[in-house]
Amino acid sequence: MNKHFQQDQVLLLKEKLESGALSRRGFMQGLALLGGTSALGLSAGSLHAADKDMVFVNWGGDAIEAMAAAFGDGFSEKTGVKVLYDGSGPLEGSIKAQAESGSPTWDLVDCDPFSGQALGKQGFMRPIDWNIVDESKIRDGFKWEYAASSYFYSYVIAYDATKYDTPPASMADFFDAEKFPGKRAMYKWGAGMWEAALMADGVAPEDLYPLDLERAHAKIAGFKDNIGAFWGGGAESQSLLLNGDVSMALIWNTRASLLHKDTDGEIAMTWAQGIVAPGSTGVLMNNPVGEKAAMEYIAHSQDPESQVKLFELLGNGPANPAADALVPEESKFFNPTDPANFAQQTPLDMAWYEENYGSALDAYLGVISA
Amino acid sequence: MSRLFTLAPLMLFLGLAYLIPLAGIMLQSVTTPEFGMQNYSQALGDPLVWSVIRRTLRICLSVTAIAVVLAYALTLLWLNGSRGMRVFVELAIMIPFWLSVLSRTFGWLSLLSNRGLINTWLQSIGVISEPLTLIRNEFGVILGMVHFLIPFAVFPLASAMRDVDTRVVLAARGMGASRLRIFWQIFVPMTKSGIIGAALLVFVFSLGFYIVPTLLGGGRSVMVAELIYLRIFQIPNWGLAAALSALIMLSIGAFLVALIKRTEGTMK
Repeated sequence: MNKHFQQDQVLLLKEKLESGALSRRGFMQGLALLGGTSALGLSAGSLHAADKDMVFVNWGGDAIEAMAAAFGDGFSEKTGVKVLYDGSGPLEGSIKAQAESGSPTWDLVDCDPFSGQALGKQGFMRPIDWNIVDESKIRDGFKWEYAASSYFYSYVIAYDATKYDTPPASMADFFDAEKFPGKRAMYKWGAGMWEAALMADGVAPEDLYPLDLERAHAKIAGFKDNIGAFWGGGAESQSLLLNGDVSMALIWNTRASLLHKDTDGEIAMTWAQGIVAPGSTGVLMNNPVGEKAAMEYIAHSQDPESQVKLFELLGNGPANPAADALVPEESKFFNPTDPANFAQQTPLDMAWYEENYGSALDAYLGVISA
Repeated sequence: MSRLFTLAPLMLFLGLAYLIPLAGIMLQSVTTPEFGMQNYSQALGDPLVWSVIRRTLRICLSVTAIAVVLAYALTLLWLNGSRGMRVFVELAIMIPFWLSVLSRTFGWLSLLSNRGLINTWLQSIGVISEPLTLIRNEFGVILGMVHFLIPFAVFPLASAMRDVDTRVVLAARGMGASRLRIFWQIFVPMTKSGIIGAALLVFVFSLGFYIVPTLLGGGRSVMVAELIYLRIFQIPNWGLAAALSALIMLSIGAFLVALIKRTEGTMK
């Protein structure tokens, strides 16, 4: 365990003490535990099972506190197992490095289902235990062997509403620089962009898969002069629109709804022809707290009210279909899985991504950087 | 002998922290997923790799040339300017040198973006009507890298310039050579070792740049370091990543050896 992570653990303990979720005695015990493990150089694995903290690795930023508030705190209260959120980013290569070591320090990861599947088939992830995780609390078509559907997010068109009298209503509009002048921004890591280009080129949403990459790349190559930037992270995509570097962008709905709210609709978003992607939780093989506790955490996070809380904090759509109705009326517009919004979008096909993502991304990078 | 003894801890440290992992990478490049040269043939047969290498060389050579020329002028000012000027130049070199590359890059972003300081200012005084695209292209990458690397060129140049025997310059002046001629035919050749040192340092350093091209290149200026990152984390193929790293290290090494041999021949 590195120093930053331990500092963060102390910070988390302090926060819990202040918020009353932890007694002073528990706090002192926690500190002693942290000090003890680092001083003796013990790994979490050598401690007694009941004293173990569960480590959930996500992508950092607001997600650390939001996931703790939505799922972790409640789970700790119920089971006595502390959940620590590490925002260092479970990239596929990082998960592989953890798992290959044979004694990972991570328990759960927030990963793309296709990554979870690919890693699972290499023996790095535990299969989801459907006796503990409730299959009826996930949406049809979003069940995988090694990844439990945890939330949804979308690639949507966000645009500078002060520049256009009529808002863009399709991917064809996004790729039409005459009707909608101004620079565009797209996602650097390809996902969702092939689908957008193909829809703009006239492919019907239901006929997208298997993706015709050559056609998609030709469409993007022909449009490249209008693209001001390819963004690699959410914050970057947000600042591209805010700084006026681009006037229309394909970005995550979580960022788009923030922009929409922060600018009072001056930068607006539409769900039209959006591409909705599932997020998932995976469990590392040989994870420190063991299989059962990790699966119980996943089951705990299927609670619809907790998922609505995550939506309110981060803008992620709930994985449990029962949660959509619990979203407050005024926020429903921003929920990617709200029936009205979901119907306008196309889901990413995880099976296609599992097979083809690597080579497709290579070709895509060749096109956008040429 | 005692010298060797004092160097031993450093050698040991370098061996453990640097050579062993390096050997691991070299080994991995020929053993993952199985023994053989398949990673190398795959890396060299991939058009994406070649386009990335071409771009990396183009950017790094431009950066090297610009940074060395600018640093040369800056060093002249630093060593020969008035007292006030010297202090000013020194601060101008040292202060950015102490700032992290990340904050400097974000500084460029807020300065040069479409609603950034420069575009807003130019628009408000009426020089331009549409904002200029100053970043999120190769220009932005080169600008950010040159800015970062200038101090690294200044130091070898300054030490070379300090070593110039001023009597030679005085003699040339006494014999009636023009200032321009003294500069080009006396001063510049006498600082040649500094120029080569500065260029080498900047070039080798620039090859591994990651943050600046990612943030200022608008996602389009993928350079070698980012490609390796991609192969390690994004779409894991560690054998290929190791082969790429080894190829780059070997080609830079060969290039440096050739260059040092050549300059040794011409300098003495």
